[in-house]
Amino acid sequence: MPWYLYLALKQLFPTGRRFPFFTAISVMGVALGVMVLVVVTSVMGGFGSEIRRMIVETQGEVQIKAQNPIDDYSAAIRLLDAQPDVAAATPISEGGVLVEHSKHVAYSFIQGMDLATVDSVFQLAKYIYEGSLDNLDDDSVILSSQLAAALAANVGDRIEVYSPLLIESLKSDTVVLPREVRVVALMEIGHQQLDSSRMYGTMRFVQGIYGLGHSVHGINVRLKPGTDEDAAAARLNAVLPGTLRAFSWQDSFQEFLWVLGLEKGMIFFLLLIIVVVAAFSVMSSLLISVVRKTREIGLLGALGGRPRQVAACFCAQGFIIGLSGTVLGLALGFALLAVRNDIVLGLARATQREEVLKRFYQFSQLPAHTLPGDVVEIVVFTLVISTLAGLIPAWRAARLKPVEALRNE
Amino acid sequence: MPDTPPNFHAPASDVERSRLNVDRGAVPAPPPVLAAAALSKGYRSGDRRIEVLRGVDLTVAAGESVSIRGESGSGKSTLLHLFAGLDSPDTGMLAWEGRPALPPEHRAAFLGLVFQSFYLIPELDALGNVLMASRILHPPGGAERERAQELLQRVGLAERGHHLPAQLSGGERQRAAIARALINRPRLLLADEPTGNLDEKTGDSVIELLLGLCAETQTALVLVTHNAAHAAKTGRQLFLHNGVLG
Repeated sequence: MPWYLYLALKQLFPTGRRFPFFTAISVMGVALGVMVLVVVTSVMGGFGSEIRRMIVETQGEVQIKAQNPIDDYSAAIRLLDAQPDVAAATPISEGGVLVEHSKHVAYSFIQGMDLATVDSVFQLAKYIYEGSLDNLDDDSVILSSQLAAALAANVGDRIEVYSPLLIESLKSDTVVLPREVRVVALMEIGHQQLDSSRMYGTMRFVQGIYGLGHSVHGINVRLKPGTDEDAAAARLNAVLPGTLRAFSWQDSFQEFLWVLGLEKGMIFFLLLIIVVVAAFSVMSSLLISVVRKTREIGLLGALGGRPRQVAACFCAQGFIIGLSGTVLGLALGFALLAVRNDIVLGLARATQREEVLKRFYQFSQLPAHTLPGDVVEIVVFTLVISTLAGLIPAWRAARLKPVEALRNE
Repeated sequence: MPDTPPNFHAPASDVERSRLNVDRGAVPAPPPVLAAAALSKGYRSGDRRIEVLRGVDLTVAAGESVSIRGESGSGKSTLLHLFAGLDSPDTGMLAWEGRPALPPEHRAAFLGLVFQSFYLIPELDALGNVLMASRILHPPGGAERERAQELLQRVGLAERGHHLPAQLSGGERQRAAIARALINRPRLLLADEPTGNLDEKTGDSVIELLLGLCAETQTALVLVTHNAAHAAKTGRQLFLHNGVLG
């Protein structure tokens, strides 16, 4: 090992000596910055990942839409099934309805499913926590957990559904009674938006309340694993009739994803300021070290050390502090991520706001997803900033002339 | 031998060159370890210029020991810094074994330095400090470690090699500094008041050690000291007065 690296290590971590206080403070500063960056980018990534999971699991990677209801959807599904990228396709009908039970009224978004094919795209059964999908027929529905709570409805209860078609009928002085249906199951996806207002019924039921006849509103497509969603959507558009258009989930949520990315980028750069502040602390302690060690620096020059090697010794100290801080920060960050839910729930329980937390943050658990690219970015930025922090002290040390430094009593 | 060495402290007259024995071509006798001719050095203090050294001449042969005494502020340390190549003279010439003062990385191989304030690196133990001078030349191997241990034993610190400078007494620190100065088998050892921070008894033992080791290894020694008794133990005694060495 070159002498300047050896000395840099020894100055930071002297052997058999007291706790290196200055080093510990500098390393902790960097580590805290890295820890916060890891936690925040992971949680942001977790939100993004949860949203992707929620979207893809409930509607597939690609959606086929049209300006008007699709009449011959069977032909479209046959065409889709023949495509190499497509694993499964299922028709859907969906729209808003009003629901009433025991004088509780709620707005709901209902989705009609083809029970024969829905499972291949949307595995509804795995989200059901009470009742059974097997009991679903044209006179029954499945309620999401928070909608059921809002309606005070349970499995076996009968609820009334008011569709937009009913309002249209009122305009022509025709009285159409609301559809009374049974609740056969309750489900929870884990996303507040979906769990607060979703309701699922058979395709025939939704076609009935919307007056669609045999038409559907769209087709959800599940792609084969590993298929690029955008490329697949482009290939499907090439074979689909002109009235139908394939949208990848990224297409459908383009603006939302852009805002999510922007938020993540902004937060990353704002939090990077913590690392910059820590780097100033590193610079400050290294500058103090240069002043304290003036005679030793002079000695190194007298012994034959070149100014650039003396500079490298201090630059290396900045780098080593950055590296140690990064390693410690990553460890602390991942440790904190491992217990994040306990901390958040603990705080929520302590303040008796567990339900508020669920409702406000939309997820029942604080999600986290660490992207390797994010970690690489954090490590590179931190190491560069820490090494740069060593440059000014290094420059000052290199400028010291041995003869003048040795005279410094 | 190049006609105009790159960092030779020019200008120099033919007479000076002749005295330095630097460019005579083939010379049967080995050149002196240290040769200084007409070295002068001054500093500006406000509007005044203070001449510290005025035409200092000195040659030191291999294995020779020379002491330089002088009043405080007479320029002894400045002269030693010039000899070490740490500072440049205003005029005059300096040669190490007939060659101009070498670039920094060669300094470690050619000369050893001992200072009044020891200048041990506080984060390194005694052994680490001794090896540091060797490390600057190249990463130390087994042979260097063995020699460092040997030197520590020679200076009476065999059991103290893993003690930090803060755990050593003044005399022990200076002994470690002497071992450091000798680790690279230097041709010349420059000692700047090495007993200045030590009590009389410890100072005497340090000087005995220094002279003994230099004699053993045929290392030329230039000792700057205030102590007449210590100076008397060297082969040649010089006095620096009004910038003139005599």
